[in-house]
Amino acid sequence: MKLKVLSLVAFLAAGMGSAYAAEGELSIGTEGAYPPWSMADAAGNVTGFDADVGNLLCAKLEVKCKFVVQAFDGLIPALKAKRFDVIISGMSITEDRKKEISFSNGYAELANMFVAPKSSDLAGIHDFDTLIKALDGKKVGVQAGTTHAHYLEKNAPKADLKTYDTLDQMQIDLASGRIDTAFSDASALEDFLAKPDGKDFQLVDVKIASSSDATLGEGIGVGIAQENTELKAKIDKALCELVNDGSIAKASETWFKTDISRPCK
Amino acid sequence: MELELIQRAVPVLLKGLGVTALLTGVSVLVGFNLGLGLALMRLSENRFLSGFAKYYSTVFRGTPLLVQLFLFYYGLGQLSFIKNSEMAWWVISDGTRCAIMALALNTAAYTSEILRGGLMSVPAGLVEAAQAAGMSRFLRFRRIQFPLAIRQALPAYGNELVLTVKGTSLASTITVLEITGYAKRLMSQTFAIFEVFAIAGALYLIINLVLITLVRMLEAHLMRHQARSR
Repeated sequence: MKLKVLSLVAFLAAGMGSAYAAEGELSIGTEGAYPPWSMADAAGNVTGFDADVGNLLCAKLEVKCKFVVQAFDGLIPALKAKRFDVIISGMSITEDRKKEISFSNGYAELANMFVAPKSSDLAGIHDFDTLIKALDGKKVGVQAGTTHAHYLEKNAPKADLKTYDTLDQMQIDLASGRIDTAFSDASALEDFLAKPDGKDFQLVDVKIASSSDATLGEGIGVGIAQENTELKAKIDKALCELVNDGSIAKASETWFKTDISRPCK
Repeated sequence: MELELIQRAVPVLLKGLGVTALLTGVSVLVGFNLGLGLALMRLSENRFLSGFAKYYSTVFRGTPLLVQLFLFYYGLGQLSFIKNSEMAWWVISDGTRCAIMALALNTAAYTSEILRGGLMSVPAGLVEAAQAAGMSRFLRFRRIQFPLAIRQALPAYGNELVLTVKGTSLASTITVLEITGYAKRLMSQTFAIFEVFAIAGALYLIINLVLITLVRMLEAHLMRHQARSR
């Protein structure tokens, strides 16, 4: 009996290390509330650009995809606790995050922007320095745990940051006037502008490129546990092929109306 | 645990401690008075008043605090008549004020039930004796019913205080930076989840230990007649 228990433990332990290889399944942690990157419906189906990237990747690796929906700021802890094999959730590659997990090569890259009411004094600003100065004492919405939050903590320390668990909650507060502006990916903000709630809002005409500051990261990559070097090698190779054959660009056109894929080095 | 990390986390979390104390203090102050009013309404012979108090406590005790917070903050924030009313919007527009309102209304429901139990335990004979001695209704309540009811209700009320302190952690979901809010922010900066939340937990424990001690001291003070007779 004891031996049985022991062998069961050994089996489970072995299973954990190579869940992906053993079961022919890749479990993917994603936020599920970040359109158009990752949207989960009530039934738990995940759609969006990240879902497409995940599905393309699984097809390339010849495994089955399984999506696990989880709040963004809990994705890295959950990956480290082996709740899933990889993170595909519009996650930017940053130095801080690289201390915790490793990343594939970046597969996409985006500009970061502010959105504000058309009537706001922010709306007419066209250069970076004026914008940062104008943020003093303003209530700025960001999503918890994102590069946007870190960027503003560093570059606009006088702004009153309001952090939200999900983008939806941030958009509700933007629409209700609780916050003066919000900082996020241009894609996520354009999604808001397309909604009825967003009709009185506009993007502030200052694009902040991800490459302009280390806190904004080196593009968007797939998060992988540090010890899982074998999986990282496979994913890097597969992603490179997907970028080069235009599959990722095609998915990007579907969701963003523009090509945000990052060339494979 | 790294010393450097603790040096970074503790001052940040202590900033949150002040907000947690504010949330608890104001909501308990408002909630206790509301709860006392509701308990009296519940015991009143007026069927409308007692009915209102009963349904109030059923609704607020029967729904999760988190749901109430979201209803007040995100729900009410979308209604135009709330936005057009200056006073209502003053409360609803700010996460801290909104959290205090939800916590106060929530703890009022529990407090009303606790005080109702205390008031019902006051022997009818004592009240009748006070009446026979010619005390007015208010005087009877102030001198006889309320002091005896509080004595009965205090242990259960101490428990409610602790639950309110812990309930304040939910305010972090509506952008309030109290202990848990700062802990979540530190989590995404340092990823030292164990250390950060262990310190946050210790801070809640300290607040509650202080509260429990104060309630026990008050209890000993109110029960001093029994201590002497033993």
